[in-house]
Amino acid sequence: MPNRVAIVGIGQTRHRSTRRDVTLQEMINEAVRAALADADLRMKDIEAVFSSSMETFEGIYLPDHVGAVEIGTYMKPGFKVGTGGTSGASVVVEGFHMVSAGLYDLAMVVGFEKQDCGETTAAITAATTPIWGKGAVTGAIGEFAKQALSYMETSGAREEHAAQVRLKADRGACLNEYAHLKLGLKSAEEVLKSDYLVWPLRFLDFCPQSSGACALIFASQQRARKVRSKPVWIADVEVVHQEPFWAGTFGDPTGRETYSQHVACERLYKRNGITHPRREIDLAELYEPSNWEEMNLYEHFHFCEKNEGWKMVEEGVTEIEGDLPVNPSGGVIATNPIGATPTIRVAEAALQIRGDAGGHQVPKEVNTALASALGGPNWTVLTLLKRSV
Amino acid sequence: MTQKPSAKKSKEPEYITVNFNLPRRYRWSTGKYIGRTYQEAKEHKKLVANRCRHCREVLWPPMEVCGRCKLEAGEDWVELSQRGTVKQYTYLVYPLWDPHYGEKFANPHPNAMILLDDGVYIRHFLEETDPKKLQVGMRVEAVWKEDAERGEGTADIKYYRTIRA
Repeated sequence: MPNRVAIVGIGQTRHRSTRRDVTLQEMINEAVRAALADADLRMKDIEAVFSSSMETFEGIYLPDHVGAVEIGTYMKPGFKVGTGGTSGASVVVEGFHMVSAGLYDLAMVVGFEKQDCGETTAAITAATTPIWGKGAVTGAIGEFAKQALSYMETSGAREEHAAQVRLKADRGACLNEYAHLKLGLKSAEEVLKSDYLVWPLRFLDFCPQSSGACALIFASQQRARKVRSKPVWIADVEVVHQEPFWAGTFGDPTGRETYSQHVACERLYKRNGITHPRREIDLAELYEPSNWEEMNLYEHFHFCEKNEGWKMVEEGVTEIEGDLPVNPSGGVIATNPIGATPTIRVAEAALQIRGDAGGHQVPKEVNTALASALGGPNWTVLTLLKRSV
Repeated sequence: MTQKPSAKKSKEPEYITVNFNLPRRYRWSTGKYIGRTYQEAKEHKKLVANRCRHCREVLWPPMEVCGRCKLEAGEDWVELSQRGTVKQYTYLVYPLWDPHYGEKFANPHPNAMILLDDGVYIRHFLEETDPKKLQVGMRVEAVWKEDAERGEGTADIKYYRTIRA
């Protein structure tokens, strides 16, 4: 039986498009200090530090080495994890495994990305092999555009529904002191007036490039309650890998069905006795690069029946004051420092359980929360958090 | 001489900009399996894939190991159809960066997910550039590049043109 693992410290930066005022390391350090302050711990108490970012997005290789002191890993064990879009969740899984295995009683995980360095797309260029699919890929946004079209065609959702999801995200972001894009949108019509970027996705239908970091401190069961009286427990994690170009083999590559998400949530739900996710999960922080994808994810994670994700939007189920709030923080479409984005999902879900989310704290009591991550190669990482285990 | 700190807030730190001007000279091997696809496309204007010898699934891109069986897939080569049905499409309204070469591009040709008649999906471009004439379910056929221009795998297909049936 593995040891229980709790989240005892949570810290993040105020995410922005540019952070001209700090170096990458200084920016990471802001989140590290915030997590330590939240747990009332000092860096010397932390036994190991694991970090995550998108390889070469800042134009440098191994940024964790450059930032060893500020990240807190100097003279300590730990390493950086890189699994594409899911990196910030993979590092959560890594920290969980290490503490769960009994190797450390206190470990820190840090996700970060400073995209104002400039050449995010140049880095994505190097993420796929030029020998396959050359020129026929439009990067993340083209894939999500095609997915949006499929969602529209097969589910009956209209652009108004996607606009409503965008509006919900902005409402949350405006209440969240750490969120990046706070647009103050007043109506769905404002979203529908935004120009098309890659049809049928509009500028407002897709996530921004943000700079920011997020740090979590994990504690073993025996240590957790000494750090804080009410820690948040990591009940379970699940990871499913996929091959990005495996179009046509073992599942539907259109994104309407994401095989890895089905497999991941089925395993996670089964192990944790979840038979009615809509009732048994109180809140979710999902990795939704676009508003269309959020509706798709409601269906993939069985929050509703197939083709009915947009109905949850019409009924307001996933609003902050709804029955099953999804991304009250504003989500990825408001804040996306990529290597930190999935870490923020876990952080936000944990804050909601603690009741410490601030302006965007949901009114209902949150006992069980789900955080998801997805990456370009269709990897899925899920984290299930609980108030008590 | 020491100066009193100015009451005025100091100027924000500067960014430094570094240009990387060296040309990149990377070489990628196409390997035994994808190499075969490159060869057939270049020499015969054909798309070929290997079929797993255990589960009989067509592997596309062709590969050495079958993901499902987790065993060596073998070299049972099959030719894929030149025709298919458009399942998804999108087109650029605003220029994007080319994800492979980092140049800004505004390709007028829509990007599509096409289900070939043998049940294999391929990501490729459509000849049709009029958004009003695009629809899910349209039938298309491969248009290959000229002999001298081929040698880039699936990019040897210029795009897929609309056909009646």
